[in-house]
Amino acid sequence: MHERLSFHIKRDSFLHSLNPLTKLVLTLALILIAFTFPYYWTPHILVLAAIIPLSLLGKVFREFSVTALRLIIPAAGFLFLMQAFFQPVGTDIIFKFYFLDMTMESVLFAFRNAMRVFVMVSAFTLFLVTTHPSELMSDLTRRGLPGQFAYVIISTLQILPQMQAKAQTIISAQRSRGLDTESSFLKRAGSLIPLIGPLVFGSLVEVEERAIAIEARGFTSKQVKTSLHEVPDTAFDQFLRWALLVFIIISIGLNLWLS
Amino acid sequence: MLDKIKSNFNTQTWVLIPIAIAINIAVGQIVLVLKLPVFLDSIGTVLVAVLCGPWAGALTGALSNVIWGIAIDPGALPWWPVAAMIGYMAGRMAGWGFFKSWWKVVVTGFVVALTAAIVSTPIAVYLFGGITASGSSFITAYLLQTGQGIWSAVVSTSFLTEPVDKITTAMIAFAIIQGLPKRTIGGYPKANQVATEGGASSTQLYIAIGVVVALVLFAAFMLRNILGG
Repeated sequence: MHERLSFHIKRDSFLHSLNPLTKLVLTLALILIAFTFPYYWTPHILVLAAIIPLSLLGKVFREFSVTALRLIIPAAGFLFLMQAFFQPVGTDIIFKFYFLDMTMESVLFAFRNAMRVFVMVSAFTLFLVTTHPSELMSDLTRRGLPGQFAYVIISTLQILPQMQAKAQTIISAQRSRGLDTESSFLKRAGSLIPLIGPLVFGSLVEVEERAIAIEARGFTSKQVKTSLHEVPDTAFDQFLRWALLVFIIISIGLNLWLS
Repeated sequence: MLDKIKSNFNTQTWVLIPIAIAINIAVGQIVLVLKLPVFLDSIGTVLVAVLCGPWAGALTGALSNVIWGIAIDPGALPWWPVAAMIGYMAGRMAGWGFFKSWWKVVVTGFVVALTAAIVSTPIAVYLFGGITASGSSFITAYLLQTGQGIWSAVVSTSFLTEPVDKITTAMIAFAIIQGLPKRTIGGYPKANQVATEGGASSTQLYIAIGVVVALVLFAAFMLRNILGG
């Protein structure tokens, strides 16, 4: 019941010891540079020169490669195929299938876009693997993020696995009572109500109780709350954040200047 | 302005938002199990928007996509402005009194669908060059091959696929609110917006379902024309 949705892997590494905000800025910097820097091979270079070294630095290379192979590469590959076939750019047709043409330009275009998506997803994965959600939220709250936002993020991560388990239970229960979930379209559409109903009503009834419970713990109190756990923020962290910010500005600036 | 935003949020709103996000995702997955040709991944967002107001709805939509992106499918991440706009628009329509009877709910769903189509177009065009990893991109691709411009191809695809999904979403959200006891709804900031006028008659429900069926048939007809012609 108390399982929380989290990818965090506890390790003792340089990447783990960075301040959560620094890692967040690093993630955004990688994504923005991959999408805006006006040089064709930027996302490819970022993967080789930033993403892979960072995963080694965080001592999570093995876990990261497993995720990349299982989730990220199939998704990026699918996007690559869709775009390579469907982008109507270029004239130099290298492959033809029914009404679909694959041209040199569309392949190059698709390759870059797939790599951009790969950078985006893997940067986020690295961030999530090396940062504990509670640590991120307590650091951001200390910097002025309203406590309510922290509550929403953290409690969603807690509720989501419970809700998915509940949905699975309801599906099994209704199936065992003979609910049709795989025959004709109309039958399946009709099954929607007995599946959604119990799930939604059950969880909405809890709302008031939860509201009273957190209200009793000073949820809306304006007083500054003290934290038991201090998240370190070093001078190096601050330097890194400013440096990354400069990179982002240069990249976006070049993009606007050249277009 | 700030006061208006603040009026959307009380403790019940903050508690409802995580649950609504989880509802979005869990229902989205149930729909996948049933293999229905809709997403229905914004029921929770519409619930928050209607019960608490447009700003709470927008926040729920945006966070929902961010968390979906983090936890399940990273491809959902760039679409957060669309989800936010769905929440905002649903809340606005409810504020104008368009969430009180079945036919008004259908209108709300339709307006939300148009908004979603308009907001998603620039994202699809600029980020993915028009072709995303979703199944409906086959239609876009075909329209592009027939020589349509990229903007009109993406917009026409959305106009074909969005209304059915969003109208069904709005109707399910309305049915849920109808089914909840008044006492449960009373604590939300905009509880009075959903007080139905003159009882939700079943004739109206049949008309609403008829509208959805007609739209499905229309979309199917258009698709056959496009793909067959």
